[in-house]
Amino acid sequence: MSEARLFKPRFNPAKPAFGILVFLLYLFLLAPLLIVFVVSFASNQYLSFPPEGLTLKWYELLPAESTFMNGMKVSLIVAIAVTFIVLVLGVPAALALDRFDFKAKAAVQSFFLSPLLIPSIVLALGMVLLFGPLELNNTYAGIIIGHVAITIPFVIRTTLMSLATTDTSCEAAARILGADSWTVFRRITLPIIQPGVIAGGVIAFIVSFDEAVISLFVAESGLPTLPVQVLRYVENSADAAVAALSVILILISLAVVVIVERVMGLRKAVS
Amino acid sequence: MTETKLSIKDLTKRYAAGLEPAVDRLNMEVEEGHLVALLGPSGCGKTTTLRMVAGLMDPTAGSIMVDGKEITHTPVNKRGMGMVFQSYALFPHMNVEQNVAFGLQMRQTPKSEQKKRVAAALDMVQLGHLGKRQTKELSGGQQQRIALARALVVEPTLLLLDEPLSNLDAKLRETMRSEIRSIQQRTRATTLFVTHDQDEALDMADRIAVMNGGLIEQFGSPTEVYERPRTHFVANFIGQANFLTARVGADTGAAPVGERYYKIDVDGFGQFGAVGVPGLTGSTHELVIRPHRLNVSLHPGVVGPESIAGTIERVSYTGDALAVAVRVGEKSLQAQLLTSSGDLPRAGETAYLSWVAEDAYLLPAPAKGLPE
Repeated sequence: MSEARLFKPRFNPAKPAFGILVFLLYLFLLAPLLIVFVVSFASNQYLSFPPEGLTLKWYELLPAESTFMNGMKVSLIVAIAVTFIVLVLGVPAALALDRFDFKAKAAVQSFFLSPLLIPSIVLALGMVLLFGPLELNNTYAGIIIGHVAITIPFVIRTTLMSLATTDTSCEAAARILGADSWTVFRRITLPIIQPGVIAGGVIAFIVSFDEAVISLFVAESGLPTLPVQVLRYVENSADAAVAALSVILILISLAVVVIVERVMGLRKAVS
Repeated sequence: MTETKLSIKDLTKRYAAGLEPAVDRLNMEVEEGHLVALLGPSGCGKTTTLRMVAGLMDPTAGSIMVDGKEITHTPVNKRGMGMVFQSYALFPHMNVEQNVAFGLQMRQTPKSEQKKRVAAALDMVQLGHLGKRQTKELSGGQQQRIALARALVVEPTLLLLDEPLSNLDAKLRETMRSEIRSIQQRTRATTLFVTHDQDEALDMADRIAVMNGGLIEQFGSPTEVYERPRTHFVANFIGQANFLTARVGADTGAAPVGERYYKIDVDGFGQFGAVGVPGLTGSTHELVIRPHRLNVSLHPGVVGPESIAGTIERVSYTGDALAVAVRVGEKSLQAQLLTSSGDLPRAGETAYLSWVAEDAYLLPAPAKGLPE
């Protein structure tokens, strides 16, 4: 009867200690976000902490701030186009890397993943110099090409991860049952690797939407994206409108992740 | 009158120039409605052969004909075959019915007929009640049946099975063996079956192609490959076998199926009887005797006028059977006996071995490296 009590665990001091450690780590990661969140409701004249009072005026100010609205429009157009292009290029590239053996395979693989390793400031400088004679500076095409270059590694990575766990005999089975290559891709391969493709697409969208360095170099004067506008705004004025904008951006990113997680199971794809 | 369904001529696959061919000028004819097992150790070319027949792999040379039509270079999706993979390869994002219906959709079968045929195929594998399930909720045996239903629902020209039982546990494997066989016989689907398991091949197949090193060593019925192995490899791979070297003497008369009885001289142990193809007199051949056909006695003269004396090395008792290893000179011979309640032989004792002529088979090709 008292058997269960015999094994009652003693108090283990490691447990609360671990809890505190995790809490501190989260605090460390999230503190800047929390401060931005608090500051966006602060009535202080200038960007500062702690708040002197509470107000919604920074949020009310946002719709009238045309630089932000224009920047938002540019960033959205760019991010949507980048997501589309990067999926169209990245998924077939990942398929080729996974399924075929060819001579330059290792070279192609490192070429596609190299933008992750090169400092983006170096990449951005190179692009400005390259885009000059091509007349791509200050154009959508220029920004989009730049963003595709830095986001394609993510799509290839996540897609390769999904491909690595798929059973290639599923594709063989479908072909034997009469499906041509395109049907196999559309009805078998793509649905199976869908989680990786979607994860790659979401990451590409967020990275592009958030990207500042390449956008600043390539299109600062002609076609400023939202991050560029935010930088400029902070340079010139020091009120909390930027904090309010940041909160809205965080909420948008969060909403995208939550919706995708709910609909497709993003966590499954990334882990 | 039986018709040839599949005919393979000089089929060769070389993965890279300079490498030994994985399949080397293989020839085979499969009759309509037969189940043919491609049996051999890993690396013998059996899976490569199957994949070339399926169209998943291009042959280096040779031809494949189905129903008299050459299909060597027909694209895989135009061959109308059905295949069950070792991993089953069920589509993970489709439920059971959708999996089975896939081949019919590719053939643009009308919806109403698709429904009927999918239901019939699932009933055939006794899983009619699981149509709406997701495939990953099913057990290994159930997945295997779904894969079989998916391959058969399209009424394939050939049914190809790639080690379909190797992922199942031993008990289930036996059940599925007889079930696959009975479904195959009911549907009369001409079937190629790749396996490395000789019991599976003997139990299920109409014909067995024993493969080794990219070649077919022997193509015949299960009893032929077991009772009348053409080569040392076949005798050794199918079941257990004892090999002795025999100098073939006089032809002593006609045995059944066109074979002859011979007097033979075994390594100086005396004169014994054996059977073999005609014309062996005067040369040296390997003699094959299955362990359970070797008579063992602890007393000389009981098993026959002539016997080979040896020392019992090891006795392994498994209840109804007894495996006895007897050392005779350089060789260790395996014998298998049914147990009785009497005295059991023990290690260290002297045993006398003999056999009846019908149970000792001389391999047709002369033994290599031995004096003629």
